[in-house]
Amino acid sequence: MALLSIRDLSVTYHSGTRHVKALNSLNLDINEGESLGIVGESGSGKTTLIMAILRLLPKGSVEISGEAFLNGKELISLKQEELLKMRWEEMALVFQKSMNALSPVHKIGVLMSDIYRIHKPEVSKRDARRRIEELLELVNLPSRVYDLYPHELSGGMMQRVSIALSLMFNPKLLILDEATTALDVVTQTQILEEIVALEKKLGITRMMITHDMSVVASTCKNVAVLYAGCLLETGLTQDVLVEPLHPYTQGLIKSFPVFDNDTHQPLQSIGGSLPDLSSPPPGCIFEPRCIKACDMCRESMPRLKEYGQGRFAACHLAGGEINV
Amino acid sequence: MSRYLGRRILTGILCIFVALCINFVIIHAAPGNPIRLLVGKDNPNPQMIAELTEKYGLDQPKIVQFGKYVGNLLKGDMGVSIYTNEPVSDMIIDRLAPTAMLALTAAVLAAIIGTALGIFCARRVGTKLDAIMGSVSYLFDSTPSFWLGLMLILIFASTLHVLPTSGMIDMRADNEGFAKVLDIMKHMILPVSALTLTLIPYYFRIARSSIIQVMGEDFITTLRATGMPEKRIFRKYIFRNAILPTITVFGIQMAYLVTGSAIVEIVFSWPGMGSFVMTAITRRDYPLLMGIYLVLSVSVAVMMIVVDVLYSALDPRISHESK
Repeated sequence: MALLSIRDLSVTYHSGTRHVKALNSLNLDINEGESLGIVGESGSGKTTLIMAILRLLPKGSVEISGEAFLNGKELISLKQEELLKMRWEEMALVFQKSMNALSPVHKIGVLMSDIYRIHKPEVSKRDARRRIEELLELVNLPSRVYDLYPHELSGGMMQRVSIALSLMFNPKLLILDEATTALDVVTQTQILEEIVALEKKLGITRMMITHDMSVVASTCKNVAVLYAGCLLETGLTQDVLVEPLHPYTQGLIKSFPVFDNDTHQPLQSIGGSLPDLSSPPPGCIFEPRCIKACDMCRESMPRLKEYGQGRFAACHLAGGEINV
Repeated sequence: MSRYLGRRILTGILCIFVALCINFVIIHAAPGNPIRLLVGKDNPNPQMIAELTEKYGLDQPKIVQFGKYVGNLLKGDMGVSIYTNEPVSDMIIDRLAPTAMLALTAAVLAAIIGTALGIFCARRVGTKLDAIMGSVSYLFDSTPSFWLGLMLILIFASTLHVLPTSGMIDMRADNEGFAKVLDIMKHMILPVSALTLTLIPYYFRIARSSIIQVMGEDFITTLRATGMPEKRIFRKYIFRNAILPTITVFGIQMAYLVTGSAIVEIVFSWPGMGSFVMTAITRRDYPLLMGIYLVLSVSVAVMMIVVDVLYSALDPRISHESK
């Protein structure tokens, strides 16, 4: 049984006469206790996806359709009060820019216990403080951080604070939005290891947004490749990375440096840039940039097809049926 | 914190001294001379001029005059007015209270109303109401306060006869106690309105833009994601972050208001510093002018220190840097 299942989720941004389809009928499942990495270049809709399921997109100019079930509860149509209760208790988030993730003029502990007491108003201030200090310890921070302001901490420490904050209620689903991108590699590895250890200890399901293939390779069981709002490929990380089916995934992997590179192949980039999502190409969304595109690709968008256990790809050419 | 405060007070004193030097130079460099004005244009008596010049020490070198002035100042003596022969300090205190009353009331009212309107519009960004209020704010911003004052007199005093045209108290009615307070308040309505209406746009725009900016900050998204209700986010976090620029503007405005309300004071014949400064200038009353400018520079310096201290208390990032 999937903890989170997303069904036909579409998000359209309206601005004047332009209608940008940022997410196009997305289907995705995450099983309990697993970890999913969502990769894609900037503008592929990764953040839109999590903002949509958390219902954090601005009202009015954004149109959301489809469904997202968390633990059987549908999020997109959920009432505001229930949503407020579910947020953080069942799904928590670690943001990319953790330096700006907390109010600069409030003490870290004061803000954290304020959040704690929103969900648990019966808890005394003293007990809230104890719980916050516990959380800080959990992410290897001294308890004096409670009385510090965000600007007094380093980037790595603030990242740990953000993680501590996200673990406050042992959420079932933890979403990390480029949570380690801004950190140096050493701190990043440290924090990733800590996250993986904590998630085993607390039984957390993790969804990780990143454009760093190495992060996905080292920490995620499954991977989903997102491009221009469309899901192009998904499956076990090892399968997808070793044998990518979609030309876009192949390109992504080729564009990532390999250290033990004996063949000394130069890095390859994918030519062109994301299509204008207010007037997408008629056929496959990746066709204008695809080096393998054929006539069929220019005519219709391929559907997501299953290739083996839990392995999906949306490409006319996948699976070697038509090989060019 | 106390070290920070000490340093700020020291720099404040330095600023006041520099202002004192500049004031002295400007006042003495200006053409005209108090003694000549005192003895009159017709039939000047050279002997009388010489005697008076000597009496007020104006025959001595400028640097000696300045030294003596500063020396007396340190003893707490601001000198005696050349024109009225009254102690400068007494004259200023008499005039400072009405100005402070007017300026403070207007500044506080403008800050509260302007900020409230700013919040109102910030929560309705892009709506027609927001656009209309924005235009109205520019209209009031470009309206000179003295013109507005005259118009208010024309409407409420001359035509409708509901409020007094000028002054601070009704000379004919000998009011005492509460009736007197009420009378003063009645006289304050028009000048305070003229000042407040032209000040509101500053606070309106600052509050509106800084709230819009804070609403777009990452930590607001964090707070929303934690399930905090919007009302609480606004009251506790957006407002607290967005109020900082308003405090800065309030301080600067306050400093200017003591001098800036001069024209409105003259329009309403308000017995404050405004008309007082004008007469002191036309009479070239050196000790009085020096005294007035000293009081103004002290009030500016004090306001700046108050704002800085308040700011560092409200924004931990500031006090940290100056520890």
